[in-house]
Amino acid sequence: MVPTSHEALVENLRNATTAEGLLAATAALAQAPIAATAPVLVEVLGYNNPGAAVTAVDGLIRLGTAAVPALLELDPQNYGARAWAVRALAGIGDVRGLELLVEALGTDVAASVRRAAARGLGNLALGRLDPAEQTSVQERCLEALLAATSDGEWVVRYAVAVGLEGLARGLRPQDRAMEQLRHGLVALCEAADDNPPVVCLRAKVALSRLDPP
Amino acid sequence: MTSPPPDSQTGPITEEEALDRLRQSEDRSQQYYGAWWLGRMRSQHPEAVPLLQQALRQRRPRDPGDGVEENAVARNAARALGKLAPAALAAVADLLEVLDDPDDGLREAAARALGELKAKEAVQPICRRLASGPDGAGALQPGTPRLMEPCEALLEALGDIGYVDPEVLAVVEPFVRHERPLIRSAAARTLLQLSGEACWGELLVDLLNHGHLRVRRAALMDLGAAGWRPALEPIRQTLAENSLKLIALRGLVERGNGDPGELALLACMDELL
Repeated sequence: MVPTSHEALVENLRNATTAEGLLAATAALAQAPIAATAPVLVEVLGYNNPGAAVTAVDGLIRLGTAAVPALLELDPQNYGARAWAVRALAGIGDVRGLELLVEALGTDVAASVRRAAARGLGNLALGRLDPAEQTSVQERCLEALLAATSDGEWVVRYAVAVGLEGLARGLRPQDRAMEQLRHGLVALCEAADDNPPVVCLRAKVALSRLDPP
Repeated sequence: MTSPPPDSQTGPITEEEALDRLRQSEDRSQQYYGAWWLGRMRSQHPEAVPLLQQALRQRRPRDPGDGVEENAVARNAARALGKLAPAALAAVADLLEVLDDPDDGLREAAARALGELKAKEAVQPICRRLASGPDGAGALQPGTPRLMEPCEALLEALGDIGYVDPEVLAVVEPFVRHERPLIRSAAARTLLQLSGEACWGELLVDLLNHGHLRVRRAALMDLGAAGWRPALEPIRQTLAENSLKLIALRGLVERGNGDPGELALLACMDELL
């Protein structure tokens, strides 16, 4: 019989003895998560089971802001789980994830984590903050993204272009930050031996969207 | 393909140190690292290619009982030369000679390097090694999981070199029926690169549904290498890491043309970040 209550789903997950069992139980829970199950999904991020972690991240993103406290409580020493948490926070776009995203983009060893963080920094929901707070968060995001325009991995620079484009949507044309942001995109457009055409192209597209005709 | 540096914990070294390590001949692990470093850092130093050519000559028949893999330095030298165009074009003759070495691992490294250097001179020698087809070049070496020839590398080199000729296509085509899906993938990639015919792209797309992740990963890389844009949706949907899908889609953007267009490709990449 398929369990339907969340208690039963959590029980299933806790009792899973195989990788496949864990994946199936996580998928069932991630399908329609409730806030109380966020800590359980966060736990799955630390199980060293990539399939289950991907599914748990989807569930946490579906849960949205309700998943953030559990994500922020993660032990910083638990490196593998943190990498997945960065992806979840990037997808959720809650401003409480700001510090973790900034740190991940600047210091994480894995390009896949830095690229998720870059996208996330362009994707934070600022609507509920007062204008002064909005500006300060935008400046933090911009600073982190601009620093990452010289990341050694093309895919991270690509994500920085996407992040800058997203950040620009929350800025007004006359904001000083807009000019710095534009400089960052122009730098990403520059052809160089180690800058592939796809990065230049993505940055050009972002620039063209800053100035709609 | 890069090998992990054996002594990365000692920190970064300079170009001079890398050249010195390759130049000395007492410590082979140092030579191995020096060769790797020069390729990885794409050294432009005038001595890099001559030293790598010299390292390529330090080889001998494999002796599994010996403990030390003597050809490791030569293999890394071949790999590094593949990354050092145009200076390494001076080493094409050396790499062609290595293509006939008894060590199939070394032949594999040489084939890949010749492909990266787009050395047209290599087309005929590579075709000769593949001419016996899946039952000859593609047969198992008795008692090992290895094939008689490093077919994947030889096939892919032909695609990378890009010399379009009916005789080359005729040599490659039988390998799309090889029993190993990775060989079928490599053959389809090369045929797609050389002929542009959709049937080979479709064969690769079929492999994106294969039950083994390794095969799906190879098909992703091969579609990216050929830049076959009709594969966009199947790439989005296949079960594999986003990192590999992003590399494949980059290939579709940079090497492909036609529909779907660049904006659709970029939108898919954005979602996968």
